[in-house]
Amino acid sequence: MAVISPQRRRAIALLALTSIIFVTLDLQQSGSTSAVRTVFGVLFRPVEGVARVVTRPVSNAWNGITNYNDVTAENRLLREKIAQQEGASVAAAASVRLSQELLALNGLPTLAGINSVSAQVIGDSPSNFAQSVEINQGSESGIKVGMPVLNAAGLVGKVTKVFPNRAVIMLITDPEYALSVKVVNAPKTTASTVADPEAAPIETTTTAPVATTSKIPGFTPGSTVPTAMVTAPNATVAVPSLTIPAGSSLAVRETGVLEGRGPSRTPIVRFIDTEQRFGEIQLGSPIVSAGGSLSLAPPDIVVGTVTRVNKRLGTAGPVLEIGLVADLTNLSFVRILLYQPITEQKAP
Amino acid sequence: MLVGLIFLGIQTTILSEMRPFGVMVQLMLLIGVTAGAIYGPEVGALSGLIIGLMYDCVLTTPLGLAALVLGGVGFGAGLLPFFVRDPSWWNRAIAIALFSAVGEILFPVAQGMTGIGGWVQPRMFVVALVVALINLFLAPVVMPLIRWTLKQSMIG
Repeated sequence: MAVISPQRRRAIALLALTSIIFVTLDLQQSGSTSAVRTVFGVLFRPVEGVARVVTRPVSNAWNGITNYNDVTAENRLLREKIAQQEGASVAAAASVRLSQELLALNGLPTLAGINSVSAQVIGDSPSNFAQSVEINQGSESGIKVGMPVLNAAGLVGKVTKVFPNRAVIMLITDPEYALSVKVVNAPKTTASTVADPEAAPIETTTTAPVATTSKIPGFTPGSTVPTAMVTAPNATVAVPSLTIPAGSSLAVRETGVLEGRGPSRTPIVRFIDTEQRFGEIQLGSPIVSAGGSLSLAPPDIVVGTVTRVNKRLGTAGPVLEIGLVADLTNLSFVRILLYQPITEQKAP
Repeated sequence: MLVGLIFLGIQTTILSEMRPFGVMVQLMLLIGVTAGAIYGPEVGALSGLIIGLMYDCVLTTPLGLAALVLGGVGFGAGLLPFFVRDPSWWNRAIAIALFSAVGEILFPVAQGMTGIGGWVQPRMFVVALVVALINLFLAPVVMPLIRWTLKQSMIG
């Protein structure tokens, strides 16, 4: 049976009071709690390093037992995907470059103009109730709180705590994470199937809808027309032509707010307006960061695609469930954009 | 303190990678609760508060929150002798599992009370159940270790 000790009780009261004061100070974003964490981190790093080395064989064995089949299947799938995407990536890189040149020419912010720091993920969150990872770069590399974090696929999260040579990243799936995003609604496509009764192979074609009529004389969306016709008494000279894009095939954008919902549920996008122009939201439509002076991330960082549209009654817009392009369960290397949003900058 | 640091090292390395059923084993919670189940509410609360403060330093939640939760459940686990006279090892193991589950539920609730919302969701009951089951099996291994550790320290 336990022995009652006044000293212990005093110690308990003191520690409980200290904890309450720490909680209060941390919620006020006091620098003293950061200092406590930094000092503890300096003391704890060597212990953690030794523990990592000693326990590595055990964790490797565990991963070998639990993930072997998944890894081999994933490897096979990835090889196929790489083969498919090698050709497409060349064309995509050219398009991205062109788009960034155009944005730069117009004085608009581009990702290419933002410096970045690469970092390795060195640890997951040691809690069941936080979605974060730790990286091996910190304030010494120019990383600050609020900076967006990407991997090769897309947006991963944002920096929430920075130490001299490490930082903590809050993942998009954390319920505390919110970001303004754009839904790029792809034009609706129609598929028609032609079946040959004489056992001919089935041919499937996908076509974008075209404008049916136009009341403007000489204007047909999607067509190419001469810009001017110079008619001389004896000859007709056509000057370089102008292509009018089909209005209905242009992507329409609408902004909303992306919110994380924890590891077991996909993030959602709220506050999408149900405008006539925006139309039905297509599954698979890309979600990109909206940008803007108050946004946590610069514009046009790929976040994910729409996997489900939950319609709501009345004027409340739909809620979109998002499939993230970045695999947050398997992060190894990330890129931190040296872009600090205004909202995350501390007042001098 | 040194043993606590070693346990924290294990928690942040191997246990953050090994996640049975997608749930992390809560070794720090297990230590706080086990100390209470063996030595009573005062030692449980004291161990929980100290271990919790160390754990807080590696978490992203407000500093001191895990300390309060672990201190609370350590104290709660220490009340076992008031309900069971001369508890056997398996009585203690059940109490450890029970209070581990309580601690795992209290943590997102405490987060919610400080304004970090979104974690109070049905998943927390699944997490609590898995943590309780794992701690039930780990308790017989950890109990002698905690006995030895606290015998060597001033707390015990």
